[in-house]
Amino acid sequence: MAVPFSAVPGVPGTAASVSTTSKASTEWTIYAVLIASASIVVGIVWDISWHRTIGRDTFWSPPHLLQQAGAIISGLSCGYLALYTTFAGTAGQRSESVRFWRLFQAPIGAWVCIWGTIMMITSAPFDNWWHNAYGLDVKIISPPHIILASGMIAIEIGAILMALGAQNRATEEREKRKFGLIYAIGASVVVLMLSIMLTEDAAYGNEMHGSSFYAATGMVLPLFMVAFARASRLTWPATRVAIGYMLITMVAIWILQLVPAQARLAPIYNPVTRMVPPPFPLLLFAPAIAIDLGLNRVKRLNDWMLSVVIGICFVIAMLAVHWIWADFLLSPAARNFFFGVDQWDYSSRLGPWRYEFWNLDTDSSGAWSARAFAIGIAKACALASISARIGLAWGKGMSRVMR
Amino acid sequence: MRKTFARTVGVLFVYLVASGHVGSPDTWFEGNAGPYHVTVQVTTAGVVPGVANIYVRAIGDVPDKVTVQANKFDATGGAPPPEPATAAEGDPGLFAGKLWIMSGGSNSVTVNVSGPKGGGKVVVPVVVVAYSRLKLDKPMGFGLAIMGVVLFAGLVTIVGAAVRESVIPPGQLPTPSTRNRARLAMGITSVLLVAAIAGGWRWWNSEDASYVNSIFKPMAAIALVDSTAPARLRFVITEPAWTHRSDSAWIRKNGRNSWTPLVEDHGKLVHLFLVKETNGTFAHLHPASNDSIAFSAELPPIAPGKYRVFADIVHESGYTQTLVTSVEVPQRSPAPASPVTDPDDSWFVGRVSPNVRVFRLLDGATMEWLNDGIPIVAGKPAPMRFVVRNPDGSNATLEPYMGMAGHAVVAREDGEVFVHLHPMGTISMASQMAFAMRTPGDTIRGQLGKRVSEAEMSQMHQATISSNIVSFPYAFPKPGDYRIWVQIRHNGQVQTGAFAMRVPADTKDN
Repeated sequence: MAVPFSAVPGVPGTAASVSTTSKASTEWTIYAVLIASASIVVGIVWDISWHRTIGRDTFWSPPHLLQQAGAIISGLSCGYLALYTTFAGTAGQRSESVRFWRLFQAPIGAWVCIWGTIMMITSAPFDNWWHNAYGLDVKIISPPHIILASGMIAIEIGAILMALGAQNRATEEREKRKFGLIYAIGASVVVLMLSIMLTEDAAYGNEMHGSSFYAATGMVLPLFMVAFARASRLTWPATRVAIGYMLITMVAIWILQLVPAQARLAPIYNPVTRMVPPPFPLLLFAPAIAIDLGLNRVKRLNDWMLSVVIGICFVIAMLAVHWIWADFLLSPAARNFFFGVDQWDYSSRLGPWRYEFWNLDTDSSGAWSARAFAIGIAKACALASISARIGLAWGKGMSRVMR
Repeated sequence: MRKTFARTVGVLFVYLVASGHVGSPDTWFEGNAGPYHVTVQVTTAGVVPGVANIYVRAIGDVPDKVTVQANKFDATGGAPPPEPATAAEGDPGLFAGKLWIMSGGSNSVTVNVSGPKGGGKVVVPVVVVAYSRLKLDKPMGFGLAIMGVVLFAGLVTIVGAAVRESVIPPGQLPTPSTRNRARLAMGITSVLLVAAIAGGWRWWNSEDASYVNSIFKPMAAIALVDSTAPARLRFVITEPAWTHRSDSAWIRKNGRNSWTPLVEDHGKLVHLFLVKETNGTFAHLHPASNDSIAFSAELPPIAPGKYRVFADIVHESGYTQTLVTSVEVPQRSPAPASPVTDPDDSWFVGRVSPNVRVFRLLDGATMEWLNDGIPIVAGKPAPMRFVVRNPDGSNATLEPYMGMAGHAVVAREDGEVFVHLHPMGTISMASQMAFAMRTPGDTIRGQLGKRVSEAEMSQMHQATISSNIVSFPYAFPKPGDYRIWVQIRHNGQVQTGAFAMRVPADTKDN
């Protein structure tokens, strides 16, 4: 299949045609890593709900097994692909790969997946030791969890890199669209994973009136959403990814609430009867529209200026929707199956904090301060701009991935 | 950083201190669960949350089924379902279970038994605190370091390959400028990764430091002897969170207001023990207090010198702790007579000899340590049975001493281990009653404590002792030279038997 070089934007050099027939032989790996990526993120959503509802923990709990299965699928399929490409691959397959330590060959996405798998494997004994040394951490952000999450995100990014390579190599519109959609699903999974890691700072309606919510989301999300949007060939890519993230999360909320469960650990302060769902997804479609418009409509700015525009628009769009949305989420109108809010851990001592705003920007006397909030939002804009700038650079690189 | 690494890499499992006693973290209970007589040993993980091991041994009749269930004193949402304890193979009567203890403080383990004789349950209060710090052992540290190097090199290689090759169409070779860009990207990635690792290392150290800070420390206290005659021992709790417990400004500033008042255990607010550092001199006193902060007692006629002070207190939540300090008893001439603050105060002056198994009490009666031919080793249930006989060899009639057949105090000579035992084990009776009598309406401080004290007093007055043998369920937590004082009441007088024991390590585990 000839790949016209001009189809690849921004790549210098002369055009070349390479005959490759490897699409079918590597395509299964894309599906395998997409499944791995999905089982990891479903596993982690389930696991968090498990810890909040049932509490009882073993290394072999079903949600843990699902995450481990994701690592195994990713490691085995990409490991096989690397060995096959290196030792038995056709010239076409090898030409679609990158070399590793001058010895092995595989697509870049496969290497990222393998790296992620090793990272996840490394985190297991470390996490176990951590629990023995410091107690089971009932929080998401701890050093071994960061190693685990980095491995998971690597597998998810490896999956989208493999889809991207296939999209960028594809010549038929149908193929381009197919891999483009797989890429968008993979990107939605990454955004979901990031939102999970942000849970402690930016997830609940209670947090949406504090500038720290906008700083946390602004620091993390533009990087990935801008990069994913820039590398995609679909229309409204960031918006599609944001809606994908929201839909997956909402389906998780609806399914989990259907499952009867009870706490199996003491102390129980809040006797739950069904699996506790994750918080309602962030309304990321709003900043995603801002990102898509910024990338498509703003033509005359260089990436530095563009990142400032995107960063500021990101925070403004987040603020515009979440400020009002927070009031709704804390109101009785949201306490139903559809939105699934106001459901707390078995170990929560329920109190008025449920309907209060947390992390509000205050002055030294403890009163809410518009000035402190404005300074916080300005910081969030700066963080979002830096994040968007890295995202633009990364997205530019990803848009050219061919192998 | 090297120092920190050396601190982190090691093979020691360091025990620092354990509540409600000192250096003796396991909880022991002996008593009835319905129609079955059981001993219960609860071994907590040393970290919170962590898994506790529960061993239930039936003495006499063996039940068919044993379940265990953890709970915390103030859990308002009920208890989790019981977990089965499985019968140990080859050891009839022993059942073992595991329970996650998620929250520190005053917890309980409920043991449910059922069998041909019927069913029953018993609540064993368990104080759960973080008391140990696990160091990273060498193979683990080495393995993590190797993986770290592989992952570091792998990521740098991937970034290089991504910039150099992944963006060129299949079949083409990278240009020299692409190669240079790849080298630059690898360099930048290396720098960023080193920064990330350094940040991670600092994070780890700060998590470690905050953990070490959270390791249990009993409330601070001091003890001193008044120079005025007759000498009085003063014991003062100096812990700021305790002395300021009703100071709303202090609580607001420091954000700490979770306290429950002290309750009487065996009718006493504090059981205070003086243990002489150099010999077997020992006193068991019950100082009085008006404010639960400053306590005082008449000092019995014990020799001058330095004494370790251990004070057992029980909170209304069922939480028990042993406060630790020391006191210098001055030379007093002439030695005072023995006016006592509390009729149950007692002391022992004399030597403790390691080879004595039959101890002659002051009134001529004897106390013999029956070891039943079972060797005493660290970590294994120790035979702690003591038989009291009259001077003529006949069985002595024991009277309740603070409602109990006997009290035993076990202290390692270096002060690293101290525990106050009863025939019902290491647990406090008041603590057990607090769990049994607590109702959801107990939201006013002191209400529950009052009911517990009343119930305990009435139980103490009804107590009768039917045997001349007192036994204590216990395992010496670690090897070393121990002194053991066993106190009973005989002919209206409290008598103290004193023993010494060198406890070896359990070689079977090594």
